[in-house]
Amino acid sequence: MQEQLLFRTPEVEPAPSKYPNRIEEYEIILDRSRCTECGICAEICPEYIGSASIEYEAFKKPDGYLRIVNHKSSCVGFGCQRCIKGCPTNALSVKNSQYLALGDSRWTPDLILSTLEQAETGRPSNRYEYRNGNSRGGFDRIRFSFELDKEERDGGKLFDERQLDTSIVLNKRNDGRPEIRIPIPIYGGDMSFGSVSLNVMLARAQAAEAWNTFTSTGEGGYPDKLIPFKEHVITQVATGHFGVNAETIKRARIVVLKYAQGAKPGLGGHLLADKVTPDVAKIREVIPNVSLFSPFPFHNVYSVEDHYRHVQLMKDINPKALVSVKVSTPTDVDMVAIGSYYAGANILQIDGGCGGTGAAPDIAKKNIAMPIEYAIPIVHNYLVNEGVRDEITIMASGGIRTAFDVAKAIALGADGAVIGTAELVALGCKRCENCERGRGCPSGIATTDPALMLLINPEWAAQRIINLYSSWKRQWNYILAQLDLENIRELRPSNEVKFKNGRFSHLVHLDHLR
Amino acid sequence: MKAIYERYHIEVKDAPSRIKLPSKFLVKRYNNCSDVQECTQACIYEVHRTREDGQIAEPVDHLCRGCYRCVLTCPKNAISIENNPEFERLGNSYFTPDRIETINFEAETGRVPVSGTGYKGPFAGKGFDSIWFDFSEIVRPTRDGIHGREYISTSVDLGRKLSHLEFDESGRLLSDSPKTIEIPIPMILDAPLNSTTRRSIQLALAKAAARLNTFSIVNAKEYSDDLAPYRLNLIPRINSTEIEDFEDLIKASRIVEVDFKDSEIDDHLERIKEKNPSLLVSLRFPYDENSSERAEALTRMGGDIVHFYVVDESVEQDPDIIKNAIRSVHSHLVDINIRDEATLISGGGIAEAAHVPKSIILGADAVAVGLAYQIALGCKACYGDKHAADCPMELEDTEIELATQRIVNLIGSWKDQLLEVLGGMGLREVRRQRGEIGRAMFYEDLEAKVFGDRE
Repeated sequence: MQEQLLFRTPEVEPAPSKYPNRIEEYEIILDRSRCTECGICAEICPEYIGSASIEYEAFKKPDGYLRIVNHKSSCVGFGCQRCIKGCPTNALSVKNSQYLALGDSRWTPDLILSTLEQAETGRPSNRYEYRNGNSRGGFDRIRFSFELDKEERDGGKLFDERQLDTSIVLNKRNDGRPEIRIPIPIYGGDMSFGSVSLNVMLARAQAAEAWNTFTSTGEGGYPDKLIPFKEHVITQVATGHFGVNAETIKRARIVVLKYAQGAKPGLGGHLLADKVTPDVAKIREVIPNVSLFSPFPFHNVYSVEDHYRHVQLMKDINPKALVSVKVSTPTDVDMVAIGSYYAGANILQIDGGCGGTGAAPDIAKKNIAMPIEYAIPIVHNYLVNEGVRDEITIMASGGIRTAFDVAKAIALGADGAVIGTAELVALGCKRCENCERGRGCPSGIATTDPALMLLINPEWAAQRIINLYSSWKRQWNYILAQLDLENIRELRPSNEVKFKNGRFSHLVHLDHLR
Repeated sequence: MKAIYERYHIEVKDAPSRIKLPSKFLVKRYNNCSDVQECTQACIYEVHRTREDGQIAEPVDHLCRGCYRCVLTCPKNAISIENNPEFERLGNSYFTPDRIETINFEAETGRVPVSGTGYKGPFAGKGFDSIWFDFSEIVRPTRDGIHGREYISTSVDLGRKLSHLEFDESGRLLSDSPKTIEIPIPMILDAPLNSTTRRSIQLALAKAAARLNTFSIVNAKEYSDDLAPYRLNLIPRINSTEIEDFEDLIKASRIVEVDFKDSEIDDHLERIKEKNPSLLVSLRFPYDENSSERAEALTRMGGDIVHFYVVDESVEQDPDIIKNAIRSVHSHLVDINIRDEATLISGGGIAEAAHVPKSIILGADAVAVGLAYQIALGCKACYGDKHAADCPMELEDTEIELATQRIVNLIGSWKDQLLEVLGGMGLREVRRQRGEIGRAMFYEDLEAKVFGDRE
């Protein structure tokens, strides 16, 4: 019974984009002044692709417009060009400049488009790269050893349909508090009401419920509409204590104490006045239209002893909750980790320097704190050597974008990961960086604007997140199957992470490979 | 009544650019547009607007943020967004288009660039890009300095300091404490790379230095009467052979800079100090493999300030040069116990706000900002003919007050960003950041520690 509940996977249902158009890698451009409507292009194309290509409907009925975009993504672009060469009047051309303008080196055009596709279909993309970005370091240069083997390319076996155990346990302390097992090794990150809209929070909560995992309030108070999902909502207590009270702490199964955030470590939080609408102000118990700073650090915590009392205070207020401690990645992140262990934390969340944010000074994002790829093994190794690794759950966050990133984080020593940006990309975020000012997000995600937030329908958005995680679940199954592992907990090393010639256990670091 | 306590404050105000940078995106509307104008509703940045006659107007590229909503929404699929090749061609591999755009924003507004979403750039890079600052997780002083409730000092001292004090038998102090000059920010402005025809830039630099209460270097040959009102904030730069020619300037200044040529500097130094005993002398030389020893020699000869620099073209070719330069010169002076006997100023490779604290954590006391402020005035870092007098950007046409304000804004923004870093690191003053290598994390070290071979 319990088992069934745990491994119940939510149904994938198509959740297509609400927009009439898609962003495709290739666009076919038709020069109307040259087109004679002969229809040859439409005949050539499917012949080559090898399928009755309704995708090329547009070719059959040149509608006289200058531009025809292949709406379905089967155009193979520069590699083919049959239609272009076959056109007797040279009226067609192909380009990918719109695709190239999308994204950045961390979230490449491919990662954005493949995440959107996964959110729509619940399956990995067979068209866009869905595993790695192009940041030239960290996860993007790490592979599973099987990825370097030729056999892995076998498309037929690509996704093992067997349901493998990808569950993790969030409390390993044996402290009388619940164990809390989640069926997938991820839960949703801290995003406050105010930094994202209520609809987005509701969607994330519904998705968390469907997957029997969690999402978090962030530092913006606990909207009443989330109460029906309280079994799946983590209450965040951060330094501004916005909307935090005994009631919201008692409501949660997990309470997270946010000490620092990877995008702006040591700098606290900052919500610009534009986004402090009357609704936001009410729930945060502050004055509307005034910028909000949550200071750094907790002004009652300046030592490990203070930290201990802080964790115990949360445990006293809520005797059943797990306490998660969220820290970032300073030089001595290992010492911070052991401190949190002795302070009684059930979960240690380490948030690396590439983490998301609603607003942060650019100088902090890029330059303060180390990337999570370093911090995970440093913390893991230290706790292994201290003999306490198996008593605390380590959740990694900050720059974990894909199912493969999650699996690599686990293979480097984390128990699981906390996901933020990927959920937003699934809802249509293009990372245009404009979360923080004016009306906020043009995609209706990171906004408090009453008109813009209607762009996100909570049920639709929940389904997109459910689908994304269904796709991720398939990929974890696949990785485990490739590695002959029974469950994802076995992926986490039990001993120190030690690379030799660029290899460690199932991992290969391409820059160190010899 | 004058306040007894004055907090250093940089007055920033909007100073819109004389020259518009190319927009990052090009928004194209194809001619299958049927003028239903849904894009005007979709776009929240007003890229798509309705003309007065009711027709759709040409898209306003520079307002586009790349959210793609118009592309997705258009019922005719008639809009596309592309990178602007003209933007991508800006600058060079070091002064990248993004850096030029950021400098432009800082010069225009004086504000700290703040944005949503996580870091978008490469994992790491060379030179300054291979460094992350540490921060302090729990045990730390307050960060309230960033928002002005408590004071974080960004002041540094120019000049020699004593390594120890000497007393006579009766306990009287024997040591003369040398003169130092405190500047409220660890940044001075270097002389323009090409300055012969640019009086307005010279003036703007001098005025900005005065307003910022720091210094601007000016080639002594180009010193003229209109700069005289700002002489307390100017550092004339003199060749060692020209000391007699500039006697008046030496007497009128607080600091002069001498280009180091040979070991005769010892003699020159004495001659300069005879003319103005309270003068600080900065000795300037280009960085090379002998620079550590040279810095040592100059310090021992009695130079107050050691100013080494790497030209920007060299930093562009190998960004590690400036990182290694600062680290090796600083470490050498530490090793032989004379580090505090001179002030180290490093120049070169300062292309963004983070490069100031990064230079300092590597061991510089202060930095000389060069090309960055020229970019703030419209330079595109093309290095055309070594910054030829006929620069097409016609920087000298900039109105002096506007140019001054843009330099002040840039430095003001950088100072505030320095505060972010110091606050994040839990440091109460920038002096304590100097050479704090233990509070910096290096890409090479972390790669080796985590992914390299270990015993």
